[in-house]
Amino acid sequence: MLDEPTRILIAAAICWMNFMAVDLIFKLPESGGVVGATAIAQQVEAGGGHLNGGTMMGNIVSSPDASAGTLLASCGVFCAGLFGGLFAAVLVYIGNRVCYDPGYAGTTGCITATFIVYGATQIGFAASDFIAGMVIAILTIQGISYVHSSRLIARLWKIRCRLLRGCQ
Amino acid sequence: MIAIYVCAIIAVYAGLRVVVEKNTMRKLPFLNVVSFAISGTIALLLPHPLTILAAVAYFVGSTLESNAIASTWAGGIRRDD
Repeated sequence: MLDEPTRILIAAAICWMNFMAVDLIFKLPESGGVVGATAIAQQVEAGGGHLNGGTMMGNIVSSPDASAGTLLASCGVFCAGLFGGLFAAVLVYIGNRVCYDPGYAGTTGCITATFIVYGATQIGFAASDFIAGMVIAILTIQGISYVHSSRLIARLWKIRCRLLRGCQ
Repeated sequence: MIAIYVCAIIAVYAGLRVVVEKNTMRKLPFLNVVSFAISGTIALLLPHPLTILAAVAYFVGSTLESNAIASTWAGGIRRDD
């Protein structure tokens, strides 16, 4: 049995990979879903960051994406088990439509995270580890340095385009 | 129990970054971190099935506000006709 800080750090890494994979598959760095996301991307680029990374950061700000889905799935599993996570996915779907986002990244991320978090609770993790883990994961992308995080996203976006194609 | 302190400390840190950052559009990602941390704190403080509704309502509400600020700052919806 691992102690709590170690579990939180492992959960942060799992959450980071989950939301980044889903967001890249759903092409969040490609174009801004709303005008505001594009404007944030332009400001990130003007400050020395990368446009594709800035676009994904703008999309995360403007509508619940896979990162929000992962957090709310963790909250759902923490409060009401597996069905709590799936209920959170329905609420994220409604939240996407409220924010004029036609995509499914948030809902997909929430469903995958529900099963990941529920599975992890069966092997010794607590759902609260994933809540704190997801907050740490979003901090690394949105809350430390927009220049470095946007460049990192752009690098991962290039890898995704090479592997899966379909990018403009 | 450490989880709730992690969320609260990150919320305070991101809140300070919002205050320090000068560019309005670049404030919004930090505000997004605050929303994540507060939603997480709500769920950790109140472990009850209805808490999911409270956390999602807070999160979607704050996201919609950020969306509105960013869209208004960018000039709103463009109508060509």
